[in-house]
Amino acid sequence: MGELLSFQIFINEPVELLNLSLNAKAVLPEAAVLMAMLGTLLVDLAGEKVSARWSPPICYAGLGTSLILLIMQWNGEIQESFLGAFVADNLAIAFRGVIALSTLISLLISWRYAEQNGSPIGEFAAILLAATLGAMLLCGSTDLVSVFVSLETLSVASYLLSGYLKRDSRSSEAALKYLLVGSAAAAVFLYGASLLYGISGSTNLKEIGISLISAPTPLSALALVFVLSTVAFKIAAVPFHQWTPDVYEGSPTPVVAFLSVGSKAAGFALAIRILVGCFSAFDTQWKLLFTVLAVLSMSLGNVVALAQKSMKRMLAYSSIGQAGFVMIGLVCGTEDGFAAMVLYMAAYLFMNLGAFACVILFSIRTGSDQISDYAGLYQKDPLITLGLSLCLLSLGGIPPMLGFFGKIYLFFAGWADEQYLLVSVGLVTSVISIYYYISVIKMMVVTEPKEASDVVKAYPSIEWSMKGMSSLKVALIFCVLVTAIGGIISNPLFNFADSAVNGTPLLQEAITLASKSSIG
Amino acid sequence: MNIAYSTELICFLILSAVIVSGSLAVVLLENIVYSAFLLGGVFMAVAGLYLLLNASFVAAAQILVYVGAVNVLILFAIMLVNKKEKLKPIKGLKTRKLISGGVCGGLLILLLRVSITTKWNLPGPTSIGEEATERIGEHLFTDYLLPFELASILLLMAMIGAIVLARRDISISTGDINDFKNKKSLINKKIPLLSENSLK
Repeated sequence: MGELLSFQIFINEPVELLNLSLNAKAVLPEAAVLMAMLGTLLVDLAGEKVSARWSPPICYAGLGTSLILLIMQWNGEIQESFLGAFVADNLAIAFRGVIALSTLISLLISWRYAEQNGSPIGEFAAILLAATLGAMLLCGSTDLVSVFVSLETLSVASYLLSGYLKRDSRSSEAALKYLLVGSAAAAVFLYGASLLYGISGSTNLKEIGISLISAPTPLSALALVFVLSTVAFKIAAVPFHQWTPDVYEGSPTPVVAFLSVGSKAAGFALAIRILVGCFSAFDTQWKLLFTVLAVLSMSLGNVVALAQKSMKRMLAYSSIGQAGFVMIGLVCGTEDGFAAMVLYMAAYLFMNLGAFACVILFSIRTGSDQISDYAGLYQKDPLITLGLSLCLLSLGGIPPMLGFFGKIYLFFAGWADEQYLLVSVGLVTSVISIYYYISVIKMMVVTEPKEASDVVKAYPSIEWSMKGMSSLKVALIFCVLVTAIGGIISNPLFNFADSAVNGTPLLQEAITLASKSSIG
Repeated sequence: MNIAYSTELICFLILSAVIVSGSLAVVLLENIVYSAFLLGGVFMAVAGLYLLLNASFVAAAQILVYVGAVNVLILFAIMLVNKKEKLKPIKGLKTRKLISGGVCGGLLILLLRVSITTKWNLPGPTSIGEEATERIGEHLFTDYLLPFELASILLLMAMIGAIVLARRDISISTGDINDFKNKKSLINKKIPLLSENSLK
């Protein structure tokens, strides 16, 4: 409270404003991303060729610096920066790391794709970096205004990216659908935020949380529903998922890779910030709502994925199901629950991006993304077959892959917190998910050479010398290696997830509250 | 009831009537040009409400941004796409309208009920009138510095994105031979990734 008081005094006396410390250090990683974005834009002025030559190294440098700065912030002293608009606790750092890494990998796999499509590379990288910037700031925002502005930065950049293939009408359709639904979600969020401001007279999440505890009104429940629907839209939880399959199918595949990991991670970070940090007075209510969302997402996402014929659509529905699994951790609200969430997000990053790298490589070589076209692929291209198989097995949760440990930890946390319904739905639906993941693998591996699809029969000889192929190869092998080996030596990841939870005061408060209420 | 209060009340009632009837007309009228102009009227009336609340800066911003930019843009778009086209009748339009009307009505009742039952913190903070601009500037450079700076990035990115979307990849032939050559070479250079067979 002392901080709040002194803060009030500062605002009232303009002279004192000069002495305020902003703690701008906290956003240094974002500054690195911003520099890379401006760099790509400047290079782009020199023409398409120069831009294609220099954009990749600038992006690598910016994102690499950002990751290093994030590592240096890890376990650092936690101070509110920008006068309570941003906080760089371990949770924020972990999610920002996931987002920056997902952008880096998406960029690695996108150069060849963009080259083959003939789309300008410089602007593509700049817009993707802007999306990253918005997503990263969203993870640490502790103020409604900065939450909204960073959310919009992420969303507007995503709309632009999904419509980037102008000559493909499906891409334009995806962008338009995403824009309309996304703007409606943003409007709903603003309405909820205005109600919250009206109730509490502050835009700071912490202060709103305090005033919600002291006077819970029906109005705040309404605000909760509005804000929660936006969060559910961002993480594509059923029934706010309708945009996902169409957008995923129409958008350029590297963009889908980013949307399915980076944008989703930002959505989960926002969910934790707002629901755990601000709506602790409505603990039971939002947990109930999220339980419903999680059950619906897991069942609908995984069941509808069974019937898909397009690889991208299947991965879209599977990502809806995966978001349902992650929500189990959020509903638990225990230390294990949050740690499992962070761990699963990190694991999901590698396995999902690995799968997307394989899908992109296949579509670069053949121009197709139909599941039936993968038949008999193992004879022509063992690398894609192996990589895709490992990543899909991991997504399905087969031991000893990385995904298995992530999933088992989530279920363990859920069981320990007596979320029996969620865990049993999760178990049943992950069995269903294994079925459709394995059927793709079966298609690739078991099919006789004679039964191979026409696309595979006409498969071009494997060539790595083309521009942008080597970075794609690096990203693919890296993701697949982490997915395959990460499971066996997963101890560092567990430690990472644990210290992400331990180094976050917000989560610690929620955990002590939860344990107190369960004892009392 | 003194004169100041009753004038304020009358102004409020007139503005509210304009807003409610105007927005209903925006949604219900068939002619889109009328809707667009009425939308401008609604925005102006909202600005009037802000003025009544002694928030002159917000009122000015409302007129500049919504009437000056958004509404004019909408009108431009309507007049540029002045194409008479027979739209296919949608199946079950009536039931759809009824359902959405029901949903909106339900939401309205919910909001009304909540706003009546809530104990609002009245009267709110006293309005600072002319000082508002100064105070907003102060906030923008203290506790809202981060969103303020981020907004500039958002605008930059949106501008670039708009250019990217609006730019023509393939130049349209104007009968010029050079133009024609360019067009051909561009098409030859670029192979669409998702070819026809992926749409099967």
